[in-house]
Parts: sequence; structure tokens; C-alpha cells
Amino acid sequence: MEKRILKYCFSVIFSFLAFFSIFYSFPFIVNAQENNDDLDLINSGLEEEGVLTVGMEANYAPFNWSQASPSGGAIEIDNSPGEYANGYDVQMAAKLAEELGLELKIVKLEWDGLPPALESGMIDAIIAGMSPTPERKREIAFSDSYYESDMVLVVNKDSQYAKATSLADFDGARVTAQLNTFHYELIDQIPNVDQQTAMESFPTMISSVLSDKTDAYVSERPGALAAVASNSDLTFVTFDEGEGFETDDVDTSVAVGLRLDSPLIAPINEALANISQDTRDQLMEDMVELNEQGESKGFWSDVRNIWSTYSHQFFVGARNTIIIAFISTLVGFLIGLLIAIYRTIPMNKKRKPIRYAFYKFFEFLIIAYIEIFRGTPMMVQAMMIFYGSKLFFNIDLSSMVAALIIVSINTGAYLTEVIRGGIIGVDPGQSEAAKAIGMNHFQSMTTVILPQAIRNTLPALGNEFVVNIKDTSVLNVIAVTELFFITRSAAGSTYKTFQTFFIASVLYFVMTFIATRLLILLEKYMGGANSYTMHKSSTTMAINIKKGADK
Amino acid sequence: MNDVILEVQHLEKKFGDNTVLRDINFEVSAGEVISIIGSSGSGKSTLLRCLNLLEEPTSGNILYRDQSILEGHFSPTKYRTKIGMVFQQFNLFKNMNALKNCTIGQTKILNRSQKEAEEIALKNLERVGMDPYIDARPHQLSGGQQQRVAIARALSMNPDILLFDEPTSALDPETVGEVLETMRLLAEKGLTMVVVTHEMAFARDVSSRIMFMDEGVMVESGPPEQVINHPEHERTKTFLKRYLSENTTH
Repeated sequence: MEKRILKYCFSVIFSFLAFFSIFYSFPFIVNAQENNDDLDLINSGLEEEGVLTVGMEANYAPFNWSQASPSGGAIEIDNSPGEYANGYDVQMAAKLAEELGLELKIVKLEWDGLPPALESGMIDAIIAGMSPTPERKREIAFSDSYYESDMVLVVNKDSQYAKATSLADFDGARVTAQLNTFHYELIDQIPNVDQQTAMESFPTMISSVLSDKTDAYVSERPGALAAVASNSDLTFVTFDEGEGFETDDVDTSVAVGLRLDSPLIAPINEALANISQDTRDQLMEDMVELNEQGESKGFWSDVRNIWSTYSHQFFVGARNTIIIAFISTLVGFLIGLLIAIYRTIPMNKKRKPIRYAFYKFFEFLIIAYIEIFRGTPMMVQAMMIFYGSKLFFNIDLSSMVAALIIVSINTGAYLTEVIRGGIIGVDPGQSEAAKAIGMNHFQSMTTVILPQAIRNTLPALGNEFVVNIKDTSVLNVIAVTELFFITRSAAGSTYKTFQTFFIASVLYFVMTFIATRLLILLEKYMGGANSYTMHKSSTTMAINIKKGADK
Repeated sequence: MNDVILEVQHLEKKFGDNTVLRDINFEVSAGEVISIIGSSGSGKSTLLRCLNLLEEPTSGNILYRDQSILEGHFSPTKYRTKIGMVFQQFNLFKNMNALKNCTIGQTKILNRSQKEAEEIALKNLERVGMDPYIDARPHQLSGGQQQRVAIARALSMNPDILLFDEPTSALDPETVGEVLETMRLLAEKGLTMVVVTHEMAFARDVSSRIMFMDEGVMVESGPPEQVINHPEHERTKTFLKRYLSENTTH
């Protein structure tokens, strides 16, 4: 079930990580050959003994979705306490873990984050509705398939195409499919088709069919089942053998993704062989039924329902977003402040040449830091730091810690230049006056220049805070349970994308609006009082103190 | 009057290839009030800024109580507490009120207690007539008021010499008087002052010595009546003539 072709930049990182993983996994292979015992063999392919750690998106119903309660056999998500994963993938993972005699741990990750997480050992297996395509097979080993699907066309219940039985019946129909998937290429097989532009996601295709902009979209059966379950105006057309799309088996099956040469491949294939086709079909039907959202009673009613189900998750996400944005802006500000102070230290090349050389060396490092972190996307930095630290240094950062580090150093790189501008912007007469009464560079900085420079940079700082609140959304690639990640889970689980993102946009707006107001108050406070008290000469403490001093 | 505080020897200052000061020699003794006059660009302000090392001289020497201030081991920051400076643009610390402007240097550099520093600051603010405004921030004061606070700030460090760099040039005509009056009172109290100024009346009435500079050279130096009324050099005469005639037209 191909969903998206990996982005170019990602694939670069990915092959980079994969290259080093060869060295990484080598000791396990040796270990495995020395031990004939099955359990030892399995454990050698696991990061944590006796535990099968499985990664998935938890937003791709009916394969995997997230919910707020453990009902229906859902399993708590390891990296998002209080959130539960369920779906065909989860139940299949549970069956496999049981067959292998292992405990199951579910980790929620963004789609693009799954392969590097597998390579770096953060997870042991991907069970996420992933098809074993040839490109993926170069980096990931796949088990036998654990579900096979057929291709269908989703149409309006009342449309003339609802009763179609062969592709020929779609003569002249307006048909679309998801962008960057093989689904879109299948449309050519329909005679005289009026092929529409590809669309980004299933929810947009559903809206398009419902609003009669297109007549049908191509889907796999489970996706169609879920779409029909939550949209009663839709139905889907299936085809008998030979009447429908011709497809590759590879495209329509999904398999468990494992590290290349993982000792788990054989045991998992054995376990899969014990799960019959009937069991699989039944499980998929159960899961589609379980995920059924009921008939929509209108937009606001949907919003209310999503809110009442996921409000706790939304709050957790919003809280994490604020925590990351706030702490990172603060730490980034301190980084920027220190660097800006450093870069304004007066250096005399003639008087102190050695000190000057050291100074220049560190300045070079600082400039490299600024250029690198300003010049690469934060999403790429997140991938490099989070997975790289595990792969190369075996440092297992929690997503939250990684997020704080990444956003902090990123913010620092930006604010350094802002604060330097603030310092340069302070009237040079101020530092001259400070010098003239005998202050050294440090004293003049801390008492005179920085208080003014910081006051001048506050608007930019507020800007950065608001940007950070929004930019934490890219951290879903390293599975930080921030607001955007939660929203995607909820949207993918309910198939009500617009309603869910509406809630998210309100929450984002409330957060940024409050943050902006608070910063304006802070600016006013730092600006000092608008008026001052006149002290009458005859009654001032000035006189009293003077009299006291004269005694 | 032989208590020499500063001694300037063969001072030269270059900005790149441009020589702004050539072979300047003079002494400043305790209780003297020296006015440096000359047209714009003659090097007056640069000379003044060399005296407290805001500019580094290119060659020559400056002795403070017989010790060279240009030697490596000499601490410029400590020296500057002894040489107060009042700027053309006042340069009050904008993030502090008038009182804090006068105490910050005392507490940070002279290590005086907050209480002691406030007493001294208030005494000096009173001297310049700014004690009613201790709570005011610089932007809430007029130019003349700001300059008087700046004088109090410099005085609060108990300097040996107070340098004035065109202290009234940036002021409205109506506030010039209050600053000059303040300076006159300080001079009467025996404060040692070096003043770069365009105020001929002040130079004539208040100073004990006038130095005339032109194109980086100290052309003439002597008591006010001599320099202003009986200048020896042609350049001094030309300057005074032009300057006095210009000023009377205002």
C-alpha cells in the first residue's frame, strides 16, 4: 500500500544511515550464528530483550489509528501515554508477538520517520500498512505479506457508476487518485477515462467525490471500507477477476518491515503462516466496524464529537507544543545572547596576538554553527540529531529531549544575529559613556548595553516564540507528541480531516494570540514607567540624606 | 600651582594616513580650567578623547601623576574613573533614571555601598540643581537637564579632572545658559576642568587658560585676555575675527 514516494532529501539521509547500519548490525549476525537456541536468535534481533517494539503512524485507519481509551483491544502507545493504538496492524502485531512469545510495545512515528527508526534500532519492526516495493527492499527486509487487498473505485451512492461491474462501465468518468502512488497510474487502464489531477490525501478525494467534482477515486479495499463507514453517501465498486485493475502483487500487499538480515524474518514468516486468510479477512472487517464513526450529523456535531473523544490528547499536544516553544525560545535566546556578547568583544590583533587567534578560531566555529543551522531545514536537523545520535553514539534521546535540543539550537542560530543587531543598534554613545566612567566591556555590556539591546530585540523574540509554536509541528518526524502529531493521529483515525484540523487551528491560534499579548505586556514592563515623581527640593529625601550626611 | 595632574608630550594621532594631531604638548595642573577653542575639525575633540583613552594616541606620551598611561600594564578602566567625561550628546544611560545614572559607576566600579553611592549622587545632583528629578528617565528630561545629570554622574566618581566635549553644542539656545552656569559654579569651587567649547564668553570669563588649535596643531596657549585680546598668531586672529563676527549676527 504505497502511500508516498520518499522525499529526495530524506532518501539521502536514509541511505547515509543505512550505510552505517551495516556495521551496526554485524555483531548481531555473529552472535546469532553461535546460538542455536530460538529465543536467543529472536532476542538478537531485538533492541530490548523479550520485547517486540513495533513502529506505526497510528493515523491510517483501518490499518492503524489512535484512540483515547483501551477499548476494543487497543494497546497503549509507548511514547504517548494515555493514547491507545488499534487497527488491523495493531491486532496483527499482537498476534505475531504472541506467536513469538514476546511482549509488544507500540511506538507512534511519522511515516517518513519509520525507516530511520528501524535502521537506528529505535524500533524492531514496521507494521504500518507498508508495501514491500523494490525501492524499499533495498533498505528494509520484508516478511511475507500479512494482508492482500484488491483495488476498488469509490463513488457516490446515487451516481450512475454505483452499479458498475467492470472498468469499461467507467467510460468517460472523471477519476482521480492519491498523489505519488501507483493508484494514479492505474487510471490509464479505464477506457476513455477523464483523468483528473492527483490529490494529496484520501479526505480531499472523499470531499471531491461527495461534492460531485469527480466521479470516482481509486482506493484499496480497506481504505474504501473505512471511507464508506464514515460517509454514508459513498459506496465502492468491486470487480470480478479480469474485470478490474491489473496490479502487481507487490503493490497490493502489505508486509512487516525489518532490518536487513534481521533474525526475525524467518520466525515472523512462520508465525504468519499460522494465521489463515479467513482470520485475516475477519480481522479487517472487525477493525473497519470498530472504527466506524457513525453517521455525520453536520460539521459542528463532528467537531464536538472529535473534541470530546480526543480533548485529552489535544491538551497534551498543546501543552507539549508550548513547553517546547517556550523553553527552546528561552534557551535559544541565551545561546544567542552569549554568542552575540562574544562577537562584540573588542579584540586587539597587535596587542594580544595569541588571544586574537583563539578568538578568531572560536568565532569561526560560531559562524559555522549559525550558517549550518540557519541553512538546513529543522526537519532535517531533527532527523539527523535524533536518529544520528542513536546510530553513531548509541545515545537514546527521548523525543522530547531531542525536540528541546533541536529547537533550542535552531532558535539560537537565528536569534544570535537578531541580538547582535540589537547590540549594534544601541547608540555608541552609551558604551562610550560607560567606558568613560571606568566600566570594562563586561560591566558596560551587562548594565548598560544589553538591557537596552534586549528591550529592542523583544519584538523579534516574540516573533520567534510564535514561529516556534508553529514550527514544532515538523517535529512529528521524530515522534514528539506535539499538537500537529496528535491532530494527524486524530484525523487519520476518524477520517474527518477538516473537522480535526479546525480544532487544531483554533488551538494554535489561541496559543499564539495569548503568547503575543503576554509579550506586549512584557515589553511595556521593560520600557519602564511613563511618568516620574517630582521631588520638591525642600521636602525631598535628598535634603534629609544630605543633612544626615553632614552630621 | 605646581601640582601637575596630566602631562601631554609630543602627542600624535593618525586615523589611517590622516594626521589629526601633531606634536601636542601641555600640562594640566590642579585647579586649572582650560578651554580648548578652534574651528570644527581642528582636532579639539580628538585631543580630549585621547586624554581618557577613548582614542588611542599613535605616538607621544601622556603622564598621569608622572606615570605613563600608555604602557601595557597600566589599566585604562581604572584610570578613566579618575578622568571624568561629559559628552556633547550627554549619553545618559537610557535604561536608568537620573539617580541610577549617578550611582551605577560608584557601586560597580568604586565598590561603594548603595547607600553611600546614593548620598554622593544626591549631593552632586543637588549641586547641578537636578535633585527634584532623581526618578526621571533621560527621555523625560530636556537637553539641558540631561547634561546637568551627566555632569552629576561624572562628579559622583570624584574625578581629578573633568573633561567637557562641547557640552552645550547639542542644546537648545535657552538651555545653554543653565549648563554654562553649572560649569561656572564648578570652576569656582576649584574643580580641574578641560573644556572643548565654542562659547567664547565662557572661555574668556571662566577659564584660567585658553588653547587655540588649528589643523591638529596647538597654535597658541595662554591666559584668556592674552589669547582673545592680543593674539600673537595670524591664524588665531583670523579665527577669532570670523568667530566673533559670526556670533554677533545670531
